[in-house]
Amino acid sequence: MSVHEGAPPGAVAKYDELQRSILRGELVGLVAGTIMALGAVIAISLALTDVRNEFGLRADFAYNYAGVQQVDFVKYLARQGKQPAQPSAEALQAYSEWVAKNPKTVNVQVLNKYLGEKYNETANVFTYMAAYFTPGVGQSCEYCHNLQNFAAYEKPQKTVAKAMLIMQFELQKKWVNTIPRPEGQPLYHIKCATCHNGQAKFWNTSLKASNPELFGIAGGGNPTPYDMRNVGITLNGVTPSSYEVVDDQYLAARQDADGNINFYQVTANKDTPAGLNATYRNQYAMYHQNTALGVGCDFCHYGGYFKSYVTADGTFKWPKTQARHMQAMMQDIAINWFPQMPSVENPNQLQNYYAQPNCYMCHRGYVVPPGAYSFNEPFVPGVVSDIKPLVDLPLLKPILPNQ
Amino acid sequence: MATEVYREPFERRTKTVRYLKFLEGLADTQIGPIYLGMWGALAFFSYLLCVFITLIGWGEQVGWNPIRFLRELPVLTLYPPPPSYGLQIAPLREGGYWQLATLFLTLTLVFWTIRIWTRATANRLRPMVPIAFSAALFLYAAIYIIHPIWMNSWNEAPGHGLAAILLWTNHFSVKYGNFYYNPFHMVSIFGLLGSTLLLAMHGATILATLAYNSHREVDEIESSDEGTHRAQLLWRWVMGFNATAHSIHVWALGFATLTAVAGAIGVLTSGPFEPNWYLWGCRAGITPGIQASCPPVP
Ligand code: HEC
Ligand code: HEC
Ligand code: HEC
Ligand code: HEC
Repeated sequence: MSVHEGAPPGAVAKYDELQRSILRGELVGLVAGTIMALGAVIAISLALTDVRNEFGLRADFAYNYAGVQQVDFVKYLARQGKQPAQPSAEALQAYSEWVAKNPKTVNVQVLNKYLGEKYNETANVFTYMAAYFTPGVGQSCEYCHNLQNFAAYEKPQKTVAKAMLIMQFELQKKWVNTIPRPEGQPLYHIKCATCHNGQAKFWNTSLKASNPELFGIAGGGNPTPYDMRNVGITLNGVTPSSYEVVDDQYLAARQDADGNINFYQVTANKDTPAGLNATYRNQYAMYHQNTALGVGCDFCHYGGYFKSYVTADGTFKWPKTQARHMQAMMQDIAINWFPQMPSVENPNQLQNYYAQPNCYMCHRGYVVPPGAYSFNEPFVPGVVSDIKPLVDLPLLKPILPNQ
Repeated sequence: MATEVYREPFERRTKTVRYLKFLEGLADTQIGPIYLGMWGALAFFSYLLCVFITLIGWGEQVGWNPIRFLRELPVLTLYPPPPSYGLQIAPLREGGYWQLATLFLTLTLVFWTIRIWTRATANRLRPMVPIAFSAALFLYAAIYIIHPIWMNSWNEAPGHGLAAILLWTNHFSVKYGNFYYNPFHMVSIFGLLGSTLLLAMHGATILATLAYNSHREVDEIESSDEGTHRAQLLWRWVMGFNATAHSIHVWALGFATLTAVAGAIGVLTSGPFEPNWYLWGCRAGITPGIQASCPPVP
């Protein structure tokens, strides 16, 4: 007992007892703490699951590999306490007078061109308007039409709508009809509702800049404007406030020697340039896709090797090849279509700066956009668009199984 | 208080001693006096500079708004310069802050190592602690300095910030094809899990033998049937061989340094020697299943 020679009597025993009591306390505390922490975590997870389901904040639990629409347009609106818009009584009245005078259309230029002679009948045009235009943009007929003369382009909204209609058909023709798909997967159609989801103004809003989460922009980690600048992301030369899938680098993406356009490849090989910035970009884009489609990375990827299109057990990842196709469509919308849409304020002028599109614009947290329609009306073969692309963006060589 | 009994011989060597009573049960309650010295002072001031520069950079990003600062603290980051600067010195707002902060952080760590070294030798100890610390320093240098220099770009280094280090870990793995297939990373993980296992075994053993006075390490070693003795019995019964008060510490040091050193080698080989660890895994035949996801991939 060499060290404790100077200790007052009983001090050592007291010290030992103190240590033992601490130990007992620690053990009880440890066990109680573990039980309480586990309980709390379980309770919170259960509560969150319930709440999220209740408010429709989650896509369906199992990923939707079959490409079946989880939520349609009506259900999507219902979840926000809304209903598809209906034509007003005056408009219906005015239309019935118009159709009595003009059973054949007067000035229809787009519908008949893409979908055929059928749309030279006013009644068929009406059916289309009532089924897609009014619910799609959430407005009755008078929003676009002078009710005395349905054929006139008096309201700028009608001019915009015509350009939108051409865009809708061209996107369908070039990108959606050609999306690589496994056998048996249904084909959906882009309609006004696919982007608009029942609202005329839904995208160029100030809300988008101030509240990017609502527009499915900020993914995990919520990149700040500083992040944006430091990973060199710009849109038309300006640093966006939050990550947009479209940025100048990808707008400039062109085919490589093998005829491939790779928007987000980052995995290193011998010749990869140094630096991690491209990876930051890639990951922000990937997080965006997760939130936009309401899926995890493994919906598209084999987690062991992100570059691969095939999982360890040989399953081909159709969603990845489809998503790559969609990325190309996004570039097309951003370069060729949005800049050529007329502005409502002055329909003789192009909009010039439509806010950039992103995956959320159509997908809204679901694998198949709620506003996409499965109704299939074939195109007239060989139609040529009235709006010429500004930049010729070639169709991607699709990546298919066993290639 | 009984703890004083134990402390008495050390206490006499210093004049000013303070006790923080609320720490009782968690740690020894004595606080100070601390040795500063030249290396300590250097380490302190360069760390101060590092923190100062970091705070300036972060403050600028939030427009000096304290509310935004707090709200965005988890994601505030000083980024290294973009790839276009290579290894050059960059303007402050384009990575210059990062370069300065990293410079002073590195100096701090070097000074601190020297400080531990001088204190160890002053106590006539073998320099095991500074050696162990240098293992961590090596990992730091590999990540922040050597790898970026080999790759010819500071952009390969992590930013300074809370989320930044997590993002870097993810992005580094993604860029080099999946770090889990890096054999050095595997060894490093082995060391990490091994160290935590050893530490848990050791800590639990010492606490378990408190009743046999293992907290009074010095004198209990001298008598039989005391804590250490029983601890050795326990582990020989459980494992079949003796863990001694010496061997546990050799193992602990070995595992812990292995973690850092293997990790550093893993970082250093990524890029110059192997750009894609998944493909390495394919060649090594350790990827799962029928290697369907191995190249040729499109
Ligand atoms: C203009 C609207 C629009 C935008 C923008 C858009 N998509 Fe789509 N997407 C669709 C439509 C419509 C379909 C349904 C196509 C089909 O399967 O017939 C679809 C289908 C998909 C599918 C296949 C789902 C399945 O299983 O059928 C994936 C994957 C996908 N999109 C990913 C993306 C990604 C990633 C982006 C952003 C880069 C994106 N989409 C942007 C309209 C859009
Ligand atoms: C978002 C704008 C918009 C809304 C809302 C809209 N239309 Fe139209 N309408 C158009 C456009 C654009 C055309 C021309 C289509 C074309 O050229 O293919 C058109 C064409 C027509 C025509 C054919 C005119 C002609 O030249 O003969 C009729 C009739 C018509 N719409 C009726 C309606 C009715 C009825 C409603 C309400 C249920 C309605 N529209 C809602 C934009 C709209
Ligand atoms: C590829 C996506 C997309 C499709 C498909 C689409 N739109 Fe649009 N549309 C937009 C965007 C983006 C805006 C700008 C919205 C804003 O200002 O918030 C817009 C604006 C409009 C506007 C002007 C709204 C206003 O008051 O400023 C009208 C009218 C319109 N679209 C009609 C249509 C019609 C009709 C269709 C179907 C034929 C259609 N759109 C299909 C993306 C689309
Ligand atoms: C909607 C489908 C989709 C989702 C979800 C998705 N990705 Fe991707 N990802 C893609 C596509 C498509 C590419 C390839 C783009 C190309 O080749 O240009 C890609 C590319 C990548 C690459 C680059 C691989 C290479 O070729 O260098 C990485 C890494 C990656 N994704 C990681 C992730 C991570 C991590 C997540 C989850 C946060 C994720 N992805 C979620 C579709 C997706």
